[in-house]
Amino acid sequence: MLRFAKISLLTVVCLLVVWILPWLYDLATSKRMNSPFVMYSAVAGDFLLTDNSVKPSVTTDLQGRVYDGRERDSLCPMFFYRQLLAQERLPDTLFGQPVTPRLLQQTNFTFRISPAELNATHVALYPLLESMPDRVDLAMPDDVFRITNRGLEFIDMETNRVNEEKSERFTDMLQRKDFCFPATQVVGNPTARKEYDEGYLLVDEAGHLFHLKQTCGRPYVRRIELPDSVKIDAMFLTEFPSHKTLAFFTDMRGDFYVLEAAEYQVHRVQIPQYDAHSCPMMIIGNMFDWTIRIDERSCTRFYAVNASDYTCIKSLTIDDEVLPADRMGRWLLPLRLRLLSPTHPQVSPRLGLSFNE
Amino acid sequence: MLKSLFYKEWLKTRRLLAGCLTVLVVLNLYCMLNVNHIVELKGAAHIWLVAITNDAVFVQMMQYVPLIIGILLAVAQYVPEMHQKRIKLTLHLPVSTTRSVGSMLLYGWVMLLVLYVLSVLLMSVWLHAVFASEIVMHILLTTLTWYVAGLLAYQLTAWICLEPTWKRRAWSIVVAAALLRMCFMTDKPEAYNGMLVVLLLLALICTTWPFISIQRFREGRQ
Amino acid sequence: MIEFNDITHYYGKRLIYEHLTFSVPEGRIMGLLGKNGTGKTTAINILNGFLKPQQGQCRILGHDVRQMPPEVRQRIGMLIEGHVQYSFMNVRQIERFYAPFYPRWNKDVYYQLISLLHIEEKQPLSHMSCGQRSQVALGLILAQDPDVLILDDFSLGLDPGYRRLFCEYLHDFAKRGSKTVFLTSHIVQDMERLVDDCIILDYGHIVTQMPVKQLLDTIRVYTFTTDKETHLTDADLYHPSQLHDRVEFVSFLNENEVAARLAAQGVAYDHLEARQASLEDAFIGLTGKY
Repeated sequence: MLRFAKISLLTVVCLLVVWILPWLYDLATSKRMNSPFVMYSAVAGDFLLTDNSVKPSVTTDLQGRVYDGRERDSLCPMFFYRQLLAQERLPDTLFGQPVTPRLLQQTNFTFRISPAELNATHVALYPLLESMPDRVDLAMPDDVFRITNRGLEFIDMETNRVNEEKSERFTDMLQRKDFCFPATQVVGNPTARKEYDEGYLLVDEAGHLFHLKQTCGRPYVRRIELPDSVKIDAMFLTEFPSHKTLAFFTDMRGDFYVLEAAEYQVHRVQIPQYDAHSCPMMIIGNMFDWTIRIDERSCTRFYAVNASDYTCIKSLTIDDEVLPADRMGRWLLPLRLRLLSPTHPQVSPRLGLSFNE
Repeated sequence: MLKSLFYKEWLKTRRLLAGCLTVLVVLNLYCMLNVNHIVELKGAAHIWLVAITNDAVFVQMMQYVPLIIGILLAVAQYVPEMHQKRIKLTLHLPVSTTRSVGSMLLYGWVMLLVLYVLSVLLMSVWLHAVFASEIVMHILLTTLTWYVAGLLAYQLTAWICLEPTWKRRAWSIVVAAALLRMCFMTDKPEAYNGMLVVLLLLALICTTWPFISIQRFREGRQ
Repeated sequence: MIEFNDITHYYGKRLIYEHLTFSVPEGRIMGLLGKNGTGKTTAINILNGFLKPQQGQCRILGHDVRQMPPEVRQRIGMLIEGHVQYSFMNVRQIERFYAPFYPRWNKDVYYQLISLLHIEEKQPLSHMSCGQRSQVALGLILAQDPDVLILDDFSLGLDPGYRRLFCEYLHDFAKRGSKTVFLTSHIVQDMERLVDDCIILDYGHIVTQMPVKQLLDTIRVYTFTTDKETHLTDADLYHPSQLHDRVEFVSFLNENEVAARLAAQGVAYDHLEARQASLEDAFIGLTGKY
């Protein structure tokens, strides 16, 4: 036993060294990284990179042309419409379409995929709001639902008891739509601080996609047909002001899709495959185009996508700057143990080589 | 003989164990009253939604209590043994070192498990009165890490206390602090679900380390 | 029963002893005397298995002390310096704790000794005086009925009454049961009353090892007067000391032999006298005053 004790103590101490030393090194040598704000300009037909680390900020395009603030605002009128409006420079039409501030406000959106949020463990209880309330504002319900092997159960939060009648109604409706219990995914936005409610998207045991809402107290269930080749990996219910997009989702291969609210049409966004569980994504969208940003391990990729047909207009890759201290750190401390990860909130030991990071 | 060895440990620790049990019960009661107070003022729906959407666990104040209990129990058991080198009396008993020291460690684990299980059961009872089982499990799974940290803290404190030299004790304290830090890397609920087994294994592996301290004591290190 | 074989030990660079060898026969009470720092407690710690010597082996009842089976330890009674016991226990609890470990446990012996102390059975050891604690410790050893006893500085902190009580009980117990005892103490008078054999340690080596009776029969304290400063270099005249005109030393030689040795060194002296030495005289004489 003594030998085992000594070996185990030595092993644990080595692991602690491999954990703590690189962390201390990073703590001592970390520096702020300045990355430019990138936005696709449909007016310029190119990506604009704005360096906000200098005052005043400097904007350039990929050809090297430099623009000042006013020019930049004009080149991205959908994003800076409020600034243009304040300066009375907002055009009446853009690309042949009449535009108003209200229209721009309604069609603009910002969407983020956070792997940490996606990979987190959540309580499997879901508040189902009333989608067509009597009042203007949405209200949080008095019950929450869970999906079991047997069906959908509503639990009254005040009494902590199952509402059998309501549960049966919803379960019947799901069964009539051939829902195979239990659900493997339940995705929604359980908050009353939004303009409207689209309920939840459910993936059943067989991998089929369903849309569930509560309208006037009654269950609304629709099965959404997907192409055969599509197996859903991660889903995100959007509820944008424009009502155009119902959801985004990725499939097992890493393809990114849009689910439109009207007719539940599924469109693949023409960007390369990516892993939503490990790479953060941000989409800044407007009625004409989207700028998609994907943060990968050693670089950041940007894609300009057509908002109508989801084709890729242009792409850009910016490699991450590797500081000399980081480079030296990889040689000095080649082995590194991490317990936390920016993309996975679960604490778990991750032993690897610094070169692979 | 095991009964006698346990009896010795009981005599050293009975008052402390009573105190720890009282603290756990009182804290549970306090958390329960706190939750009931919120339910009374803002309604159960509010607190359920806070649990579901904000990941609140409502028992955060108990986070370090199992750790402190583990450390205190080890101090109560092993500091008297090292004072005036009374450990010589234990090591001179006509039982193997594995048995004599092992029984002390076993006693500590048993007592801690009893305290922790009682605390979990108590917590489970009052949580179930208010919340659905999913929320209760979410909270209990989050607290499990704290109890495992308590076992680990007990084990490491025993290792430190039984070490005969102060120089080595200081180094052991650094190692122990680093290991215990691993149990509190994040406050996110259920973040340690995958790591619980690793931490428990680590605590079990650490049960062998006090024997290194005992061997050093027997070699006359000072 | 107890064997010290070729023991060498250092604390860092400081030599404690080198090639120390002695044995304690069965049924004898052996006392280890030495000045502070000569290695008495070191020897006890080596015997009890709490110190690993740099070289050599120690055996008790034929077993290496560092690999002693638990059933052999049942036959060995140990007293730690300061009569250290579990101070969080009281008289009854400590007896209840130890009893199951020793098949020959005799609780009557223990309680008989305790009854002399005029203390409550529920009184914790931490609330007892040094003397009372020593009797509890002694009572536990007697109740254990070991074949070998190892006692480290058994008289530490005791007043004469408790020391006498301890010695009498221990001596009686050892002789009636043919027990083998190895002990150390600073109070040489107690050793003289108690031990059969003695080892006198000086720094790094044994000065003498023999039965106490034989030692006291053969060693003498010699004194003479002289008006000159004297430096005696004869190895058989141990640690001579001079105070004004009086010189004192011990020796195993008889008076005539001592006179001859003094003459050989050309020492002018008067009134050479020899007297019988007590054990304390022999110890101080053989190891020197500080």
